[in-house]
Amino acid sequence: MKKIENSIFKGIVRFLTLFSVLILSFIIVFILKESIVFFKEVYIIKFIFGRKWNPLGSADKLAIFPIILGTIYVSVIGIIIALPIGIGNAIVLSSYTDGKVKRVIRSIVDILAGIPSVIYGFIGLLVLVKFLEIKFEFPTGESVLAGGIVLSIMMLPFIISTCEESMEKVYAEYSGYSNALGVSKSYMIRKIVLPNSKRSILASIVLALGRGMGETMAVMMVIGNAPIMPKLLGKCQTIPSLIALEMGMAEVGSLHYHGLYASGFILMMILLIINIILYIIKRKLI
Amino acid sequence: MKKKIAFLLITILLFVSLVGCGDSGVSSTVEDNKFKAQMTFNGSSTLAPVISAIATEFIESNTTWNNVDSSFPEENISIYVSAGGSGAGAKSVIEGTSDFGMLAREVKGEEKEKIGDIKEFVLGIDALTISINPENPLVKLKDSLSTEEIMKIFSGEYKYWNDLDESLEHKEIVVVIRDLGGGAHEVFQKSIMGDVQVREDAIQSPSMGALVTKIIENKDAIGYASYGMVNQNQGKLIPLKVDGIEPTEENIVNGSYKVSRPLIAIKKGELTQEQQAFMNFVLSDEGSQMIENMGFVPAN
Repeated sequence: MKKIENSIFKGIVRFLTLFSVLILSFIIVFILKESIVFFKEVYIIKFIFGRKWNPLGSADKLAIFPIILGTIYVSVIGIIIALPIGIGNAIVLSSYTDGKVKRVIRSIVDILAGIPSVIYGFIGLLVLVKFLEIKFEFPTGESVLAGGIVLSIMMLPFIISTCEESMEKVYAEYSGYSNALGVSKSYMIRKIVLPNSKRSILASIVLALGRGMGETMAVMMVIGNAPIMPKLLGKCQTIPSLIALEMGMAEVGSLHYHGLYASGFILMMILLIINIILYIIKRKLI
Repeated sequence: MKKKIAFLLITILLFVSLVGCGDSGVSSTVEDNKFKAQMTFNGSSTLAPVISAIATEFIESNTTWNNVDSSFPEENISIYVSAGGSGAGAKSVIEGTSDFGMLAREVKGEEKEKIGDIKEFVLGIDALTISINPENPLVKLKDSLSTEEIMKIFSGEYKYWNDLDESLEHKEIVVVIRDLGGGAHEVFQKSIMGDVQVREDAIQSPSMGALVTKIIENKDAIGYASYGMVNQNQGKLIPLKVDGIEPTEENIVNGSYKVSRPLIAIKKGELTQEQQAFMNFVLSDEGSQMIENMGFVPAN
């Protein structure tokens, strides 16, 4: 009886695993298939490094260099803002709080992660964009900066939870010794906890970067969606928002339609490359 | 033991649901002429709320099909409406994933070819108004812009408001548009811009609602808000005349106001009786009244 049970369980689990792998490969194959049609017409180098995106124009007007830069720019700004806050928060959670306070802060962070992105976008549009317009007298508040700020809030939970986990372990391991030596807490955090959590900080950056570059709705609402070279205080366009914005209207089978798939393909490749690079760095670093 | 049973049930459910998917897909293509208690709409985000409201009214007043027509069986009416843009609407009809497509533009020749036997229903007209914020000093200065002026504003030739008129402030004009490939922009491009391109750094709003919000929030913004949206937000944004012609219902219907687009429902092949019954309701006086209430100009 036990044997049969075991084998049934094993079979089901294996099937489900296979199923998810199949779905993933299907998605990749599908996107590749749809974008190959495009790459037959437009040279891939030209597509990546060209400067103009105009879906109404001819084939040579479909290029996404400014959009790729915009995607990276917004996410990097988000990380620059979120990383110090996130690490600080993780330190407080792991080393300065315990018991009830910790649970409360943690659940607040969890709630932050659970808010739908469209809500962030909406708040960004009505509060942040307006604030930039009124206080700093931007002609329009829609900018890379606004996108970065909104993204940084969305990245925070990822950074906090990834960092906190390992910091807590390090802290628990060494706090006894450092207390015995009479070393101050802040010294210990600076010299032991932070250096030992390098790996998880790096991991959190990758996670946040992936999250940021893939984020669609919230970013779309606050960046202005103009496919021009991104400047910190100017408008820009990111690949996910480009796809979300134009996919509904693109005529099926047109070059524009396949171009959107191709840009999705490029986004996947960028994320893959970033992940590989960081994987290599991580191995060398530690 | 309970857990095991629950687990088993879940797995069985999973398999059954997978099998179920395959089955319904096959049968719907085979039994095309049989009575179908449900129908699906997909397409334009402008038209979706209208069809959705009419469908709700239709369902609430009839509940089951036999109340619509006594020859129909006693089955609950269900009408599903989803929005994904005019292009997606045409796509879903071509691929047969939905019964009706909703388009907020003319059906393109290529799409007509792909569908083949196409039925079109013009439900109404939506006009795009060139709208600005009520606090913009331009409101006091003049209430009409010529086509050329609009073209220069949107193409970026007039970068600041004082380029348009010297008495205005030296402030950047914030141009708000919809996405370049979309139905609304196509109409605007055709009727105002011609071959001239819109300036590259214009804000592309993800929806008409976002576009209107931007104009309401930003004093220096100008954009093409839909006639329906302007009516829903009366006083919060000011529509300008184009070449001296005001975007009123009368001018839109007789075609003298030129920035307008049709709202169309399309269907591949003949309508079944129950689909015809619903379309009759949409095109009836009651349906037209609801289209008008949503801020559009009904075709009938």
